[in-house]
Amino acid sequence: MEKINIICVDDEREVLDAVVHDLDYFRDLFNIEACESAFECLELLEELDAQQEHVAVLISDHVMPEKSGVELLTEVALDNRFLGTKKLLLTGLATQADTIKAINNAKLDNFLEKVWDPQELLQTVKELLTEYIVEKGLDYEEYIEKLDAPTLYRLIKY
Amino acid sequence: MIKPYLKYILPVIIPLIILFLPTTGFGIEGLTLVEQRVIAIFFMAALCWVLEPIPIYATSVLIIVFELLLISDNGLWFATNSPLEIQGHLLKQSTIMATFASPIIMLFLGGFFLAMAATKFRLDINLARVLLRPFGHRPKYVMLGIMMITAVFSMFMSNTATTAMMLSILTPVLALFSKEDIGKVAFALSVPVAANIGGIATPIGTPPNAVALKYLVDQYSVSFAGWMAFGVPFVVVMLLIAWLLLNHLFPADTKAIKLDIEGQFLKTPKAYLVYITFAATILLWLLGAVHGMSSYVVAMLPVAIFSMFKIITKEDLRNISWDVLWLVSGGIALGVALDESGLASNVINAVPFNSFHPLLLIAVASLLCLLMANFMSNTATANLLLPLVAALGASMHSLLPYGGQVVLILAVTFSASLGMSLPVSTPPNALAYASGHIKNTQMLKVGVIIGIIGLLVTFTMLFVLNQLGLVGGGNIY
Repeated sequence: MEKINIICVDDEREVLDAVVHDLDYFRDLFNIEACESAFECLELLEELDAQQEHVAVLISDHVMPEKSGVELLTEVALDNRFLGTKKLLLTGLATQADTIKAINNAKLDNFLEKVWDPQELLQTVKELLTEYIVEKGLDYEEYIEKLDAPTLYRLIKY
Repeated sequence: MIKPYLKYILPVIIPLIILFLPTTGFGIEGLTLVEQRVIAIFFMAALCWVLEPIPIYATSVLIIVFELLLISDNGLWFATNSPLEIQGHLLKQSTIMATFASPIIMLFLGGFFLAMAATKFRLDINLARVLLRPFGHRPKYVMLGIMMITAVFSMFMSNTATTAMMLSILTPVLALFSKEDIGKVAFALSVPVAANIGGIATPIGTPPNAVALKYLVDQYSVSFAGWMAFGVPFVVVMLLIAWLLLNHLFPADTKAIKLDIEGQFLKTPKAYLVYITFAATILLWLLGAVHGMSSYVVAMLPVAIFSMFKIITKEDLRNISWDVLWLVSGGIALGVALDESGLASNVINAVPFNSFHPLLLIAVASLLCLLMANFMSNTATANLLLPLVAALGASMHSLLPYGGQVVLILAVTFSASLGMSLPVSTPPNALAYASGHIKNTQMLKVGVIIGIIGLLVTFTMLFVLNQLGLVGGGNIY
């Protein structure tokens, strides 16, 4: 079975733990990684790429010291190695300018506002994960119990 | 449960043991080295398909590669340099490689092209929209409509793709059912059941049928129309039974259902070409007796037309399910090896199968096939069992009054498609189970009942056909 990662990035430890906690549902089939800064995330991405592991979903806060979430996601969007990685911005403090950048440059797949509804976050990640797995041609049957069925029905063509 | 590492060790160890036994150790007189290697390859295949240490299509490729290395005229030096009487008859490398492009594979490729073009030009969803209309709004009849359309589509498209499409139509409807209304179980189950059953109706409906074609040759060959002549009635009967069963077990409380399918038929020149080619291909398949082209030749027409007019593009070509084609190729290669090495006839002579009652043999083989198909891939099941029952059928003269080889092969082939009692039985089952509306036990109940009834209907149908002289008398038209 391929190793598939979900990465969460937030500079506030409690928030990060809360996000990771809300994604517990995926833990038995997927690897959930927590990073406290954009730099830590970039390092982790290098590591995962060296191991040829998949980065299916990247969930990031926006306002962080040194490097913002939008900057991080833009870098990932331009990196060929992570083509197809689903990007989710999770923030309560994005200005309109930030939001425009996030859409135009970081090519967001989803935007959730803090404070988030755990159910909504779970459902969103489920859908993004399903899209990633089908688009990459991975064997969806191995992960099917954790995937979003309607998304599968929509995307399976063969 | 077996230990997890055993699934990697057994498929290596057991074939190796078979390879290194003395040829006299098998109790088969005059066993040659080539035949011994075929036995080893067969066990490797069986263990790999049952335990699945590697993807099932990889097992097929492995069969072909091992055959090339060990029993072909261009194989490894030590595998080809023994004296003829010990070594036995080597296969030509071209014979083994040709299984990748056998006429049966080409028939399936043609089917894939049709299905792909239909999906791409939304012929499938638009047909579903139009065909569902006459079934009205009462849940019972909407379900009948869904099942019939699913079955018809799965005759020409992959069962998985059909299921995904029909479930995506149903998803918004199922969401409207109240929590305690078990009617949605019936709806969610109706799609995979209809898709699994529908595949039986045509030679291209599902891969096990393709595998069966390999063994229905010469005077036993079945034309496309010939297959449909018994496949379609069988599917109709089974669909009705399944519909009644689902309605009985899970009656819906909801009074009316409204399916909302948006869209309209595409009217571009390319779309028309797809419609015409689709209809013409099916017509040519049905009229084989008139124009003389075999169904294999007809299958190449859509391939040519869709490639010429860029209806299937380079990108689409990459998306063809080569894994399914290779899976079938491996099965064909296994059959070829058993046959041409002489092993099949040797084993049959060595074991006193003739002392078994032929009807018992048909029943046991079909039940075994049904059981295996519930736990593993239907195609892999057919790949393993069909060469064995084909050889058995050919040698058993006591089977002749009951229709002979053909009846045995068809019974086993149909059984391979009737395994649908678990989420892992078939991809359509897995997809429907993922909807979250079905419990394991509900699927099990329906699957077991349909499986058993399906076997009985198969036996009855084959018996009647044989009595009428339509099957087993030498030709099926």
